[in-house]
Amino acid sequence: MKVLAVAYEEKDIPELIVGTRKFVGDSANIVLLAVHKSASSGDFNINVDKVYLAETSRPEEIVAAIVKLVNEEGVSLIVGEAYKNLRDAFSRVAGQLSMPLITDATEIKLGDDRLVVKRGFLSEKAEMIAEVPLPAAVLFLPRFVKAEGVEGGQPVVTRLEELGGDSKVRLVDVKPKEVGGANLEEAEIIVGVGRGFKSREDLEMAFELAKLLNGQVGCTRPIAADLKWLSEDHWIGISGKRVSPKIYFAIGISGSPQHMSGVQSSKIIVAINKDKSAPIFKQADYGVVADLYQFLPVFIKKLKERLG
Amino acid sequence: MNDIVVLVKASLNPDMVRVGSDGSIDLASIPLKISDIDRNAVEEAVRLKEVLGGKLYAISILTWGPVASRMKDLKLAVQEALAKGVDEAFVVADDSLTPGDQATTASAVKEVLSKEGIKPALILAGEATIDEVTSQVPGRLAALLGYQYLSFVRKLELSGGKIIAERDLEDYIEVVEADLPAVISVTQEINEPRPPTLLQIRRASRKPIKELRAGDLPGIQMPLRKILGIKGIQVTRKQVIIEGSSMEEIADKLIDALIQEGVLKI
Ligand SMILES: Cc1cc2nc3c(=O)[nH]c(=O)nc-3n(C[C@H](O)[C@H](O)[C@H](O)COP(=O)(O)OP(=O)(O)OC[C@H]3O[C@@H](n4cnc5c(N)ncnc54)[C@H](O)[C@@H]3O)c2cc1C
Repeated sequence: MKVLAVAYEEKDIPELIVGTRKFVGDSANIVLLAVHKSASSGDFNINVDKVYLAETSRPEEIVAAIVKLVNEEGVSLIVGEAYKNLRDAFSRVAGQLSMPLITDATEIKLGDDRLVVKRGFLSEKAEMIAEVPLPAAVLFLPRFVKAEGVEGGQPVVTRLEELGGDSKVRLVDVKPKEVGGANLEEAEIIVGVGRGFKSREDLEMAFELAKLLNGQVGCTRPIAADLKWLSEDHWIGISGKRVSPKIYFAIGISGSPQHMSGVQSSKIIVAINKDKSAPIFKQADYGVVADLYQFLPVFIKKLKERLG
Repeated sequence: MNDIVVLVKASLNPDMVRVGSDGSIDLASIPLKISDIDRNAVEEAVRLKEVLGGKLYAISILTWGPVASRMKDLKLAVQEALAKGVDEAFVVADDSLTPGDQATTASAVKEVLSKEGIKPALILAGEATIDEVTSQVPGRLAALLGYQYLSFVRKLELSGGKIIAERDLEDYIEVVEADLPAVISVTQEINEPRPPTLLQIRRASRKPIKELRAGDLPGIQMPLRKILGIKGIQVTRKQVIIEGSSMEEIADKLIDALIQEGVLKI
């Protein structure tokens, strides 16, 4: 069984190797294609057959690299993690090579000529188990396994140059996204903010609450993607981060399934919303029906008093 | 070659999922609705139709059966696109194609185009649909047609036969220039879709919706994926509303509750 593992971020390398060995078996022959940041900063002292480096993040070029390696190496499974650039690249590869692609997988199991996969469905209100024929492509949810116990090795490392890809799409400009330094996956307390906040300045209240509780601030998609009040590492939900704090405060958040799918493994959810019929209240342990502008200052003051 | 195609999916509505006490989910009882970001794609397509001056078609492939009980929802989704300014729609609904997968959907769209002799300059789709959120169909379709693919576009300009697009990729924004034809997936942030007016809805009822079956599309890829099981995830929350005669009282009660839960230490 030959597997092509495509790493985008540096941390994908150990995760993909541990995950592939766990699900496919120790005898899997892994060919690693490291692109983007993983190509320049990854550690290649690892137990895989071969390593190819392609220092590009452009989907067009990643497609060219994958197709080249699939043809040359005779791969029957392509794996990666579900980042937007790889969603793009894998969808084209799957179309070009007529193979099934399962995205956001959490588990796979290998049969003779088939693959059984598990993934979230309907904003994680359900789980789907499906079977697809091999060869196939899979994009795992980031952090689908713990990257522990990667064995060392001395694979031959080859650099891929001149990938070309789709030359008709010309690059005009690249604008880096702001990085905020949030690390929500590790946070024990998360103060989530939504469109109930009227201005960027008002988020100060949420930061104050988070600081008081040693927690971090997270947000809904419109706050990060549309209004850009916070950087995207704060974005929680099906197209953002999945988090599992002890307390998730949902403040001025309506409770859309796309947002809630990212917080469903929270231990306790507290909702603060002025609309008593907001769907968030049915998905929360404790609800406060109030204007956040009236409640938050009092809640912060009380917490300060009691924390001493 | 000035025509535009917009893809519209009647998606299972995740707001309407009911999980049985044994974790079962009856997919057939979940209504379908036009996927949210397809609305953004339709809005953008209607705007670009003015620039290109050709016809605007919508294509919808039914993923979730059975066809007999899904036709109403499928037509409602497509009618919304027609009301917004799409000229003509094609729907593919066939029980042999349900439950579908992304390979089938992309190949069905390609087959509809070739059967109807449509050679679009642009194909627009949402970045993902609300039931599976895979972001797969537009990329597959581009590969099948040999079109360029611009994914996750949050800003789009079209002039002099060239596209200038801002792609919202994983960790950076990329501005690209490309020629037509192209497949473009748009993000939710690209525009603010307006609901159609009553007059638009009334006019749309006269616009044609052509129904096609698998037998009409000889090169179609049958679904590769077989769904073995769907299990509902039950998350039960306490749903306690904290009440009190003042904000102070509510705040104190909330703090007490969190201490009692063992999640807050004071
Ligand atoms: C494919 C897809 C993927 C998506 N992915 C994500 C995702 O990953 N994450 C995500 O968050 N969203 C995602 N969305 C968007 C999602 O559907 C919702 O639009 C979004 O979560 C709503 O954000 P919100 O709750 O902040 O805003 P709204 O829905 O506008 O809710 C604002 C809430 O604030 C309350 N409010 C207003 N003023 C006050 C006040 N003064 N005091 C108290 N409460 C107040 C209102 O009652 C309302 O309930 C996705 C959508 C799609 C289609």
